[in-house]
Amino acid sequence: MTGACVNALIARAEEQAPEAGFGERVAENQRRVFQIAYSVLGNSADAEEVAQEAFLRAYRNFGSLRDAEKFRAWVNRIVFRLALNRQRGYRRRLARDTAWQSSEARTMVDGAKDAEQQIMLDKLRREIERLPQKLRSVLQLSLVEEMDATEVGAVLGIPAGTVRSRVHTARKLLLEVMK
Amino acid sequence: MKDRCETWKEQLAEAALTGTMTEGLDEHLRTCVTCAFALKGLRARKERMDALLPFVAKGPGPGVDFRARVLDAAAATNERKRTQPWRIWRLAGATAIVAVMLMVGVKWYHRTERTVSQNELAALQKLTEWRAPSDALLATPGQEILRTMPRLGESYLNVPVKKDEEE
Repeated sequence: MTGACVNALIARAEEQAPEAGFGERVAENQRRVFQIAYSVLGNSADAEEVAQEAFLRAYRNFGSLRDAEKFRAWVNRIVFRLALNRQRGYRRRLARDTAWQSSEARTMVDGAKDAEQQIMLDKLRREIERLPQKLRSVLQLSLVEEMDATEVGAVLGIPAGTVRSRVHTARKLLLEVMK
Repeated sequence: MKDRCETWKEQLAEAALTGTMTEGLDEHLRTCVTCAFALKGLRARKERMDALLPFVAKGPGPGVDFRARVLDAAAATNERKRTQPWRIWRLAGATAIVAVMLMVGVKWYHRTERTVSQNELAALQKLTEWRAPSDALLATPGQEILRTMPRLGESYLNVPVKKDEEE
C-alpha cells in the first residue's frame, strides 16, 4: 500500500470520526457566534458561556451539521436563542443594568474621548433595549460583523427586505432619542 | 424648530439617515435656516451613532483559549457518553417496562369490565320497584294526611268525611 493510499485512508477515517472537523468549524464561527451573544447580553463572560453552550449543542448534533453552511446557520440561530433566554433570566433577577455597566465594555473605546464615548455607548445600549422586540433583534443581529440581511433574516425567519426595513426604522428611532 | 417646520421633521430624519432628500425639502432648506441647522445636527448625531453602533456587538471578542475550552468540553461530553453507555439502555429499559405495565393494565381492565345483560337489567328494575306486602299493613290512617302540608288557616284535622257515612 502506498503512502498516498494510507493518507487517504487516514483522512477518510478522520472524516468519519464524530468529532472530525469540529475544531475547524469552531475556529471559523467563534468570532461571529460570540458577537451575536455579546450584542444581546453586552457582557463578554456571559457571551462566552452562551457561545460555548451553542457550540456544545452543535457538537451533539454534529452528525447532521457537517456542511459548513448548515453549521453556520444552525449555530447562529442557537446562539441567538440561548442569549435571549439568558437575557430573560437576567431581567427576572433585575441584574441587567449592572451587567451593562461592566468594566470590560469600557476597554472597547479608547483614546481621549473615552469617557464621553462610553457614556454615549451606555446610552445607546439603553435605547436599543427600549426598542420594540422586533426592531431590537434585527438591529442587534445586523450589528454583528459578517452578518448580512439574508443571514439575519434566516435567524429570525423573516425576508431580507423586512430586515432592511426594520433596521432603517430602528436607526431612525435611535436617531430621534440619541440627543 | 418653528411650528410650520414640524411637517418637515420626518423628512429631515430620512435625509440625515439616507443622505438623500426630496425636491420639496431641498427648496425648503434654502429658505429655512432653522431646518438647515436641524439637519446639520441630525447628520452629526447620525455620524456619532454610526461610530458607536458597531461596539454594541463587537465586545472584546472570545478569549484566546476559547476554541480549546470548547473542544475540551466537547471531548468531556464525548467521554461521558462513551463511559456511560448503560445510561441510555437504562432509560430505554425503564420506558419499555412502563409501556408493558400500561398495556397489561389496560388489558386487565378490559377483561374485568362487566357487561350487564338486558335480562339482568330488567330483574334489577323489578327489584327496585318491589314493595313488601307488610307495607300496607304498617300504614297508619294519618299517613295520608301527613303527606300533604296544610295551607295557612287549615289544620291537619280537616279530614274529608265520606258522604255515604253522613247519610
